[in-house]
Amino acid sequence: MNGGPRREAGEAWAFRARVEREAARRFERLGAAISAFDPGSPVPALLERAAEDERRHAALCAELCVAYGQPVDDGVADEPIAPASLGPRAAVLYEMVAACCLTETESVATLATLLSEEAEPRVREVLHEIARDEVVHSRMGWAHLAREAAAHDVSFLSAWIPSMLSGTVDEGLFTRGEPEPDAEALLRHGVLPRSRKREIFVRTLEEVVLPGLESFGVGAGPARAWLAQQSS
Amino acid sequence: MLFKKLFRLLVLGGAMVGTASGCAGASQTLAGAEKTPEGRDGGASPDGGTAKAQDADGGTADAGGGVTGW
Repeated sequence: MNGGPRREAGEAWAFRARVEREAARRFERLGAAISAFDPGSPVPALLERAAEDERRHAALCAELCVAYGQPVDDGVADEPIAPASLGPRAAVLYEMVAACCLTETESVATLATLLSEEAEPRVREVLHEIARDEVVHSRMGWAHLAREAAAHDVSFLSAWIPSMLSGTVDEGLFTRGEPEPDAEALLRHGVLPRSRKREIFVRTLEEVVLPGLESFGVGAGPARAWLAQQSS
Repeated sequence: MLFKKLFRLLVLGGAMVGTASGCAGASQTLAGAEKTPEGRDGGASPDGGTAKAQDADGGTADAGGGVTGW
């Protein structure tokens, strides 16, 4: 593979390497925070292990990034994302829901879709290794939400889900663009075409994330309105 | 089919992990049962009742963000 598709694949893996490094930092911070108010929770231990997973994933993604001829950006950002008005415990819940219930759940769906397609052998190995861990990373969010929902009213999250979603999707996801001639080639290198990515994102939201949130008392109305607005 | 499987694997599986040690059972949590009158922090809402998300125009009065992924 040469030219544009090669560069696009390299950039996608570079982006993923950065996402994984940032997740490692976030998980370490959240694990320490949860231990302070819920010492009986199994989630901090999972977060600690997940941080190690993410560093390993970052190295795998960086390897592919380099293989496709793109430079690896070693920068790492870890900025808390919860609204300033939330108390410390609610802020942790906000971030766990955003990072794990939404983003990691969407990542599992993306990885499962990529693994259902033909891929280059090394790409497939990397996808497989990452997918196995991301299942646990998504579960950490649902586990924490379950514990918090058993102790508190967590319905305040409902109004914040659109903010989380806006910060998750890239600007062009809902833009109806031109057909993607390199889509088939990119799939072999672990990159979903935009239209497919949008379909997976929306279906995962509608059939996994939002019903999941509702089952814990977090209303999905604002999120459904956000989705309708993006899709119109 | 993929999505039903993901719901079971992630949402239900996660709830089981979270509630297996020292908290309400998963069935109680998932049923949306009444919350305990006194939570572990004394029954206070974890946001202290201060959170405001969207104003009437749909704009954020107090911005929160999201996490980018794959």
